[in-house]
Parts: sequence; structure tokens; C-alpha cells
Amino acid sequence: MGTLDYIWLGILAVFQGPELFSMFGLPISVTIAMVLAGFLTGIMVGATPGLAGPVAMAIALPILISVFGYTPDALLPVMGFLIGVMKGATIGGAVPAILFNTPGTPDAFMTTLDGHPLARAGKAGKALRIAHFSSASGDTFSDIVLIICAPFLAILVERYLDLPEKTALLILSLSFIAAVVGGSPAKGLISTGLGLLAVYVGTGEDFYPRLSMGSTQLAQGFPIATAVLGVLIIGAVLKELDDLWRKKREVGTVAASADQGDQRLHGADIRRLFPYIARSALIGTAIGALPGIGSTLAATLGYTVGRARYQKRKAPQDPAFGEGAPEGIASTEAANSSVSGANLIPVLSLGIPGNAAAVFLILAADSIGGFNPGPSVFRFTADTVNPELVVAFGLFTTMMLANALNWTIGGLFMRSMGVMIRIPKHILLPSVLLLTLAAIYVQETRMEAIWFALVFGVLGYVMRALAISPLPFVIAFILGGNLEATARQAFAATGGDPWFLFTNPLAAVFMAASVAVIVFTARNRKAAA
Amino acid sequence: MKMILRAAAAAAGLAVLATGALAADWTPPGPIKLMIAFRAGGGADTQARLIAEELEARHGWKIIPEQVTGKGGLNAAKAISGENPDGTAIAMIVTETLGYNLRAANAGSPDMVTPLTTTAGSQMAVVALTSAGYKTLADVIAAAKGGTAIRFGVMSPSLADLAYVIGKENGIEFNIVSVKGGKAVMNGLTAGDIDVGFGAGIQAKAVSAGDMVELASVKSEPLANSPDAPMLTEFGVEFYNDTMFMLAGPKGMDPAARAAISAAIQDIVNDPNSKANQFIAKGFGGAVTISGDELDAIIAKAYSDADALMAASAE
Repeated sequence: MGTLDYIWLGILAVFQGPELFSMFGLPISVTIAMVLAGFLTGIMVGATPGLAGPVAMAIALPILISVFGYTPDALLPVMGFLIGVMKGATIGGAVPAILFNTPGTPDAFMTTLDGHPLARAGKAGKALRIAHFSSASGDTFSDIVLIICAPFLAILVERYLDLPEKTALLILSLSFIAAVVGGSPAKGLISTGLGLLAVYVGTGEDFYPRLSMGSTQLAQGFPIATAVLGVLIIGAVLKELDDLWRKKREVGTVAASADQGDQRLHGADIRRLFPYIARSALIGTAIGALPGIGSTLAATLGYTVGRARYQKRKAPQDPAFGEGAPEGIASTEAANSSVSGANLIPVLSLGIPGNAAAVFLILAADSIGGFNPGPSVFRFTADTVNPELVVAFGLFTTMMLANALNWTIGGLFMRSMGVMIRIPKHILLPSVLLLTLAAIYVQETRMEAIWFALVFGVLGYVMRALAISPLPFVIAFILGGNLEATARQAFAATGGDPWFLFTNPLAAVFMAASVAVIVFTARNRKAAA
Repeated sequence: MKMILRAAAAAAGLAVLATGALAADWTPPGPIKLMIAFRAGGGADTQARLIAEELEARHGWKIIPEQVTGKGGLNAAKAISGENPDGTAIAMIVTETLGYNLRAANAGSPDMVTPLTTTAGSQMAVVALTSAGYKTLADVIAAAKGGTAIRFGVMSPSLADLAYVIGKENGIEFNIVSVKGGKAVMNGLTAGDIDVGFGAGIQAKAVSAGDMVELASVKSEPLANSPDAPMLTEFGVEFYNDTMFMLAGPKGMDPAARAAISAAIQDIVNDPNSKANQFIAKGFGGAVTISGDELDAIIAKAYSDADALMAASAE
């Protein structure tokens, strides 16, 4: 089994998987249909202000698992759907941003700056085409980087990192995420600490269910879906409902301006936009590869770099950034779209999620079983087939498939999504809440799960109210078990050396970096304030 | 006296017949909850779900599988214990749950559940990568005596004790690394994180491909794939691990339900045409269906043997 054989098996797993129906004598596999369904759902969800990709992924996941079951055959259809949602939501977010000056997803905020002025000037169609082209380019570039880098990184990790270094690397990622996500390193650390505390209830190696205070309900620990969906989705819904209640949003109709003149994207436009797209795609990919830094920062950076270049080169009669410059849309959309592919580099090679979308991919793999994201996936075995590697290449295939859909029908579908803004939030939010709770019950089938999810939802609400990002909580919850197990193993494997994190040079470097990233972020913040 | 014996035999025969008749007639009063003590998607979970699928297909019973994981099956055993004993709740655990794990946790006695039937045994062995160069456990012990630190991967507390005892009896000390599940032992071996480890049968493919080698049998009998591998007794260790997968019902389960469900499950795992049978043959060395008094005796022995192993590993 060479590398090429594995790539081919992965492609076959997608195209020749379980058949859904056949069209013109060609069998259409379930995976292909699921990628398409996920992609279209993603665009719709992204185009709806108040919803985002993670919401759709969270609600869909338990339902899909109950449909497809817990067999390895379920991995590609379910994860293909999630990948479709991830990609669809990225381009969908630009629609309301351009048409109505309301970003559908947070990272589309910078798109409003130039997109909406263009739309008001009667160039909405062109603005949407620019956004789509830039987004699809950035996304595809990022996926190619992922496919090339993830296996190499995984093999390097497997070859050079022993148990103490793996422990230190997990600590470093948690500390990095705590430092860079959200309000301040202190808030990030609080969020991380709460996540670790929650995951350590009822788990551990001892037979006594720790931290369960004698309660049989807590003895099994919190199911991962209740913690993740509770804090991320229910918390967000509660916060939005609160905002809605406080603000009593004005219910006026949003005026859309009529299109005038040529809306097409010409070769000359593409040549002009290309340098901006290329720069932003590089920025987005680099940021995506680091866990925890989301697409919003990528969009901001891409926009800033694009603006600096544009000011030097623009002709005097061209509109400046913020007044309807096509380059502004291109810089933003290419940057925020190129985050998603690269974000899977740490997921697939180390098992460390960097954003909410990655969290749900890990959750899917964890719930279904048969695929454990991490270095062991990329083991190119010679005489036996490594099924996890086939799944990994299958996932890459679904990503490329989603990209192909994006290039072909994505733009068309996206331009028809202007209507989604008309969905009133006072109907949308309770529906999301109900669907989330139903989805949790479908997966856990016990009433405690609902109570846990609601408590985590309140926690998520409180954290948002105090401007503490819930993402470190969720990532700590996911990595906590792994961190404890690896630390215990490293301690045992070194013959009970309590200083195992510091006696090994590479582990010591990781530990020093963990402290440094917190200290420097805190200091920079103080200097900036 | 003879008369009495004969009458007793007749009565016993009648009772057996009656139970058999009851078993044939028995239908569950509602959907059956199947608690699975293993992580979703693993070998044990797949086995349980395949059995459930076949029970539904053959008998029209409605089975609802549910994961109740953690604490070596004790969470599932505790959860099943208090369920309705009318046959609407069963649990998939291992004999080790009611043996060592229950004893070590001091969490009750084996009669907290009603054992139904075993489904499969294990091929428990000490395993290493072929490239490590060890032929049998003796080579590992010799290397350790020569000063090489040996990392020994284990997936349960009783196996951790056993690894310790193997070292103790041979005057060495292993660095015993606990991991979650047999799959993790295999990954640890391949990644070089551990040097040797226990495999319960998951190593079969790698052993037949020549990538891994079984250094010793940890069972009370020789291994199916490596019949020449030495037994632990050859290294002065009097303990072994004959863990089997089994199903159990709540405490004081209705005898008709117990007989009917046990028989239905045995039919499935023994039928070479069933997916469950094929899966067990591939992963766990073939179906093993022990029930009734024999199973009760095995569990009782596993429970009482636990003390001896704990005592030996505490020295």
C-alpha cells in the first residue's frame, strides 16, 4: 500500500460508498448527497443572521448519527455533511452583509464595509460574485495546504514526540487558546479551567467516580454533547434572546437596492483582485493552522493588509476601502474562507481542535467511532490497510468535492439567499433551542442530559454576559480527558519521574512557551490599554 | 429414598420443561433497553449492536441500545442492577466487571445483577512489535534485567496488577502505562510509546501479517494464533486472565425472561450466518456461550480470585 493507493482508496470510499440512488445509470453515493445537502444547508444558515455553521452542525450531528448509526460506514456521510456546512456557511455569511449591511456570521463583518456600499450603488450582483470568487479561491487554497501538510506534520509528531512531549504540547495548545481567544488571557484561563473541571467529573482511572458527590447521575460524567451544545449553542441562544428582549429590535423592512448595469465578473476584474486574494489566502491559512485564532482575526488582518496595498496603488478615481472597493471584499472573504481548511491541520495531525467547526468534526468522529483524529491516523502501513487513513483521504475528497460544488453551483445558490434575512429572530431562536434540546435527547436518551445541557447553557450565557469566550471551555472539555491520560502515561512511562515535563528538552521548551504566551499576551494588552 | 430421588428428578425435569416452554412463549412486555459498557464504535460496542440488530430481526423485539460507559463496566452494572427485572433491560459487560473490578471498587457483590450468557472470550496475550526483536516474554525479562526500561501497556486495573506481578516474580519492574482500550495499546506499540502490551484479540491481524508477535499467553490455555507462546506459569505467575464478554440483567430477573433472552442471544452468536458470529470470529477468536450455573461459578471465581491478585500486587 503506497501513498497513492491510499489516496485512491479514499476517493473510492466517497464515490463508491453506500449507494443512495442512481442517476443515468451512475450510482450516486450517500456521501456525495450528504456533502451537497450540507453545503446548501451551510449557505442558508450562513445567510441567516443569528445562525452560523456551528448551530447547524450541532443540531444535525445527533440526528445524522441516529440515522446512519455507529458504524465506520457512517463516518464519511456524516463528516461530509459537516464539512459541507462549514464551507457553505463561510460563503453564505457574505450575502446579508452585502445586501443588507448585516453580517450573517461574525467574520463577515468586514465584508459589509465595502460590500454594502457597492450594493447601494447598484452593484449587488457583482459584489456577491466577487465575494464568492474570493471565498472559493481562499477555501480551495487552504484545503490544498491541509492535504499536503497534515500527513507530514502527523508523521513528524509521531516520530519525534514521546509521551512527555505530547503532554507538554497539549498544555501548550490549551494555554495558547486561552491567551488568544476572547477578552483577555485571564478570562481565557477561567474558561479553560471551567472546561477542565467539567470534564473531570466522574472520569479518571480510579474506580471511584470523582467529583460526583455520591450522585449516580454524575458518576458517568457529563456527556460531551451536553457540554459542547449547552455552552456553545444554548448559551448563544439565551444571550441572543436576552439582547432581543433588551433591544426590542425594530421590525422595519430592510430596503434592497435594485441592480444596475453590468454585474458580471470579468477576467480583468479577476486579474486586478488576484494579488489581494493571494495575500489574504496566505494570511488566512497561516492563522487557521494555529489552534484558537478564528476567522474573524484573519478577516481583519486580510482587510488591513489589503488596504495598505490598495492605498499605494489605486487610481485617484477608484473608491477607497470602506466606500465600495471590490478589493476590500476580496481581501476579507479570501482571508476568512481560507481559515477553515487550515484549521483542520491541528485536528487531523494532533487531535487538537482550533475552532467550533473543528469541535463538531471531532465530536462526530468520537461519537461514531472508528476514527480517532490524531497522529495515529497517518500511518502508511505497507501490507495491511489502515482504515483510518482511508477515512482521512476520504475526508480530503469530500472537501475537494465541496469545493467543486462551491465553484459550480455555490455562487448561483448564494445569490438567491437574500430572503433569509426576513426570518424573524423571535421565531428563529426558540426553534433553535427546541431543536438543540431534541438533538441532545436523540443522542443521549436520558432526561439528565437535558438538565445538564440547560445548566451548561446558563453557564454559556453567563460567560458571554461577562465577555468570557466559551471556546476555550469547549476545547478544554474535549482535550481534558486526553491531557489527563497522556500525563498519567508519561508519568508511568518515565518510571514515575515527577519532573517529566521539564527533564526532556523539547517538553521543557513547550512548557516555557505555554507560560510565555500567557505572559506576553497579558503584557501586550496592558501596553495597548 | 429412591422414590424421593426419582420424584425430585421428575420435578426438576418438569421445572426445566416449564422454563423452556415459558422461554419459548416469552415476549418482552415492552422495548428492551440494551446498556453497553463500552465506547461507541469499538469492537465490543459493535458486537452488542450486531446482536441487537439480529434480535430485532428474528424475534420482532424492539431493542434500544444505549452507552453506559466507564469504570470498567461498573457504571453499567450499577445502572442495570436497579432496572425493572421483567426483561426490558439488559447490559453488555465483561466477566472482569463482576470479578476484579467489582471487588477492587468494593462496590457490591456479583449478585447485584443476573448473568445471562457469555458471547465471546478473548485471546489475551503479551504483544510486541516484531521489529522490537523479542521472541517470547523471556527475552523481554532478560532485556529488563540488562537495564533496559520496559514500558508495559495495559488497558484495565487487573491487567496492570498482572503486569506488576509478572515483573515482581522475575525480579524486575516494568513502567506500567495504562491506556484506554486494546486499540490504544496497539497504537502505542506502533508509535513506540510503549514496548510491550496486552492484547485481547485485536492483535490477530497484525500477528498473522507478521507485524506483531505474541510473547506469552495470558489465558489459562494456549493462544489460537500462537500455540507455542509460553504460558505465564512458566514465568512463576499463577494468575491468568480469561475475560469473556457477557450480558447481564437486573437483580432478581424473571427466570422466563432470563432463559428466553439468553437462548435468543446464544442462537445468534452461534449461527455462522449471523453478522454477530462472523464479527466475533474475526475479532475475539470465536463465540463462547456459557450460561446458567456454569457462568455463575465463573463469575464467583473471578470475584474471589481478585483478592489474591490484589494481594500479590500489593506486596
